[in-house]
Amino acid sequence: MRAAAAAGRFALQRCGACGRAQYPPRAFCTACLSDNVEWEVLAFAPGTLLARCRLHHSNALRFRPALPLDLGLVRLDAGPVAVCFLAGVPAIGAGVTVRARLDVAGHPVLDAAA
Amino acid sequence: MARGYDDIVVVVPTTEPYVRRSEHGAAWFIARVLGAMLRRSGLAKDAIDGLCLSSLTLAPDTAVAFTQHAGLSPRFLEWLPMGGASGVVALRRAARAVQAGDAEIVACIAGDTANATSFTDLIENFSSFSRDAVYPYGAGGPNASFALITDAYMRGFGATRADFGRLCVAQRANARRNPLALLREPLTLEAYLAARPIAEPLHLFDCVMPCAGAEGFLVMRRARAEALGLRGVRLLGAIERHNAYADDPVQMRGGWAIDREALWAQAGVAPDAINLVQVYDDYPVIAFMQLEDLGFCGKGGAAAFVRDRDLTVAGDFPVNTGGGQLSAGQAGAAGGYLGLVEAVRQLAGEAAGRAVPDARHALVSGFGMINYDRGLCTAACVLAAP
Repeated sequence: MRAAAAAGRFALQRCGACGRAQYPPRAFCTACLSDNVEWEVLAFAPGTLLARCRLHHSNALRFRPALPLDLGLVRLDAGPVAVCFLAGVPAIGAGVTVRARLDVAGHPVLDAAA
Repeated sequence: MARGYDDIVVVVPTTEPYVRRSEHGAAWFIARVLGAMLRRSGLAKDAIDGLCLSSLTLAPDTAVAFTQHAGLSPRFLEWLPMGGASGVVALRRAARAVQAGDAEIVACIAGDTANATSFTDLIENFSSFSRDAVYPYGAGGPNASFALITDAYMRGFGATRADFGRLCVAQRANARRNPLALLREPLTLEAYLAARPIAEPLHLFDCVMPCAGAEGFLVMRRARAEALGLRGVRLLGAIERHNAYADDPVQMRGGWAIDREALWAQAGVAPDAINLVQVYDDYPVIAFMQLEDLGFCGKGGAAAFVRDRDLTVAGDFPVNTGGGQLSAGQAGAAGGYLGLVEAVRQLAGEAAGRAVPDARHALVSGFGMINYDRGLCTAACVLAAP
């Protein structure tokens, strides 16, 4: 997921045995327990915004200059739910596009935009 | 139906008073409660042959290490890393162990310390999912996760900030009668609504204050308690469930909804027989869900339910009679014991100054562990006065 995010692509896990998509990544399929999980590398993942919040406090110093931060809970069309940074102000229930990138700490993160 | 709990009782509800910060480690707080319970019961340490322990800050140690620290040699030992469900689950485990003869007297304790870095360290590595897929989104900790759940709940059921505020204000009124609560200043609905935002829609008084402290109780057969001169509160029924409703896109209900009929059937009483309720209240929205999922009102009906009732100890539906975590503070895993210890105090007639009149039955509910986007552990029990 990290390598894909470095290239601006979202690597979503999908089970090679039963086809179930899952997020966050794990070592085996949550549905059938097969360890034949594969990466589906996408330019972006479509989804629906389920809920949002605006963070005014962070427990890590590195985020504090960026506050407030808008976060959203997005149901990907592929099935799983992802916590994302929200870009702009997409409406609840609206379609969003989820893209991946690496943050300043080198961690893959997801951005959802209308 | 699961077998009942016969003559199992809970005695010596004990609290090591909470403090905002401490130089002591978690083991110190746990040992303080153990020592106090031994003094109150008159038992020797060797009589404790079972131990259920929970702590979020005892690492790298677990219950195993604690036996050596404290010189215990139990033949029944549980390490329950279930956060807010720890208390009810500990009681459930302990009761079964005593029933089966695997132990005679089980000490159930949760304790945690708090210092400048303990809370931030905890949330940075709370779970692999939260480390990978939540923490990098602003390190908001449970505030962020519950803000999303609260947002979905408010939109889904039309609940308002004032609805949550009524619960918080009532709990503060209860805390004002509890010398063990850290937050005892008066709180009005106006002040609740005017508080600064933390993770909108959550504001300051929706969030618990992390602190250090410990809670505990002993579990044994009634005859043993009576021989010790202790009034034992009876366990009528108990449930637990983990990772319920995994396919719900947002957590709008918990495992209680699956198991509540089993709980009430095992307990042999209905919700209207309950004189006081202790719900897990790390955030008001989850308290609302417990009232709904345990059958006190319909789904989405908690806001109206709370609007129509007086939740204080003198009211018609007393909730979180010691102030709950929202006013007492959240001493880590001890937050999962707070409501149980308070319920036992109420039913045993030890809640001086805040006693619910003629309290016969209590419901205690637990909720724990936001592993990714929702709490995974749910538990509840029904207790009866001696």
